Amino acid sequence: MTRLPLPAPPAAPTTNALEVRALTRTYGEGAGAVAALAGVDLAFPRGTFTAVMGPSGSGKSTFLTLAAGLEPPTSGRVLIEGEDVTDWDEEARTRLRRERVGFVFQAFHLMPYLTAVQNVELPVRLAGGRPNRARVAALLEHVGLADRARNLPAALSGGQQQRVAIARALVTDPAVVLADEPTGALDSRTAGSVLALLRACVDALGQTVVMVTHDPVAAAFADTVVFLVDGRLAGRMDRPTAEAVAGQMARLDELVPHEAVTV
Amino acid sequence: MGGYTTKLALRSLRHRLTAFTATFVAVLLGTAVIGSFATLVETATGPISSADAETLTIMGAVVGGWGALIVLFSVASTVGITVTQRDAEIGLLRTIGATARQARRLVRAETLAVCLAASLAGALVASVTGRALLAAVESSGLIDHADYDGGVVSLGITVGGVLLVCLVAAGIAGRRATRGPASVTPGEERADAGRMRWWRVAGAVGLIAYGVSMAIVTVTVTKNSDDPYDAMATSGSNSILVGVGLALLAPVLLRWGSFALRPVLGRRSAEAHLARYNTSRRAHLLAGVLGPVIVLTSSAVGTLMAVGTDGRTLPAGASDDGGTITLLNNVVVGMLSLFAAIMVINAFTAAIAHRRAELRRLWLLGATPTQVERSIMAEAAVVAAVGVALGLIASLATIVPFGIARGEGVVPDGQLWLPPLLVAGVIGLTLGAARGAVRRVARPELARSA
Repeated sequence: MTRLPLPAPPAAPTTNALEVRALTRTYGEGAGAVAALAGVDLAFPRGTFTAVMGPSGSGKSTFLTLAAGLEPPTSGRVLIEGEDVTDWDEEARTRLRRERVGFVFQAFHLMPYLTAVQNVELPVRLAGGRPNRARVAALLEHVGLADRARNLPAALSGGQQQRVAIARALVTDPAVVLADEPTGALDSRTAGSVLALLRACVDALGQTVVMVTHDPVAAAFADTVVFLVDGRLAGRMDRPTAEAVAGQMARLDELVPHEAVTV
Repeated sequence: MGGYTTKLALRSLRHRLTAFTATFVAVLLGTAVIGSFATLVETATGPISSADAETLTIMGAVVGGWGALIVLFSVASTVGITVTQRDAEIGLLRTIGATARQARRLVRAETLAVCLAASLAGALVASVTGRALLAAVESSGLIDHADYDGGVVSLGITVGGVLLVCLVAAGIAGRRATRGPASVTPGEERADAGRMRWWRVAGAVGLIAYGVSMAIVTVTVTKNSDDPYDAMATSGSNSILVGVGLALLAPVLLRWGSFALRPVLGRRSAEAHLARYNTSRRAHLLAGVLGPVIVLTSSAVGTLMAVGTDGRTLPAGASDDGGTITLLNNVVVGMLSLFAAIMVINAFTAAIAHRRAELRRLWLLGATPTQVERSIMAEAAVVAAVGVALGLIASLATIVPFGIARGEGVVPDGQLWLPPLLVAGVIGLTLGAARGAVRRVARPELARSA
């Protein structure tokens, strides 16, 4: 749980690893339309660790889905390393996902029939490349699993599986790592070590991490927390602490128009 | 409590009618075929000549016996699949307090309800096709004359027998579903999935050993018998027995086969890479497809080649049962092929449906939908190649001894075009089943997420 010192700004501090402009996503049409995101502007500079927080239904997951190019936005732009990828077709977005975006999921999402090392190599293989063995070995070493490289996921603990998933997210040296509730399925101690690992990816490797979470303790590992409510930006907090984040979340919860509940 | 499980079973059935379609079709067709031949046996008890009665009874007994075995296998397979697809749900039921016995009763009640409806419908079909079958047998000259006398008794016994078989199949499936402690973890994550039980290995070894020793008996003993059909009696079903034996070992054989195919699969594409490890490390998932592919190949090639040899080498006037035996051979092979085809298609669809989440995961990680589809087709190709190779080996247990016994030697004198044709058909069926599964299951899943 040690906080490493913040890194020196990388070579091109003006380029954001990920940037979204007036990002909007509406589900449904006409009177029944629901805006999951309504005009969000956010920029994530290289080498930073940002947590995106908000009550359920605030649009955090939609934000991640759009940033990863899994779905096209209704309007607004998505820029990866300054390049506008919004209007790319499905195939180009697939290439984007496997080459310039790294993913860490709540449920790990390892392939059950591939060993740890093969799971890490997978994005490179899907891209038609040949995995660099030394790099893959170094990544597994970095996440502390050099000795479990030949194990299948079923033989690994939840925390170990998530470490493999982090190594996989880093294998293509992506522009940005998107993490969706990465500690949601882990106990608090394991969660702490996984978050420290994400922190180290930023500090030691200069990676950019954007993490969606609802856990104030997880958010406290980030450099910055941005809050979403009802699909809109509702504030940000630099150098967060778990207490401050929890306090802010409690206030935000009161802002949400609750549905009528009859008991 | 019993009433409640039944109610739960009926609700669950209504909820997943499509999952039970394969069971329904298998039981319907099984009852229709067995029932048709059963009416021949009932007709044989009527006022007809004793020679005709014998012919009809033999037909009914042979088809009924093989039919019961085939229906048992296919219902056990289809019910087993619908049950494994729901391992998490059954685990949940047990976690919230259902006993293993209640869970088994649920499976039994569901299966019986489907089988009852299907077998009654099948009996209805049989009451029509039975008449047609008798007319066909009569007009082909296999019997002189008989008036149709089938009906409630033969069809009733058939339905009862089929239901009994269903009950056994449901018992096997239910036991498999409730093996081990209650858990809501889906089967994918279980490390010990696919481990083979000792009785399965024992059964496989027994069947293969029996088939091989009967082949040796054919070459050494019945070859010299006066009745030319003694050699067929000891060799005709060997290919099926050895095929079923190999099918029981399918998980292990798929692993080995996939290992043997490594040079072909190579390291070239991501699709082949994925298929290679999926077929070797999770062989149990596709073993349900490999089994029927082996049996289909071995029984069709073995039996039809033997029928060909028989037609070429039978001494003139040596036996007047030739027509009946050829007909029976063809009916049994036809029935086996039909059911094996149903099982291949059903098992493939189920295997892909079971992996929906995993296929979506591949897509999330940056696989194109085409890559996902190709990896499934590559798996199907591995299964088809391994299954056809093993099926051909098993078919030798009939072809070689029968050929030697009838003086054709190790290689039959004719019909050598038949095995490649059947092999092409089986490969086409396997790849077609995979394609269908991709279209019905994988593609909508990927389209949904796009």
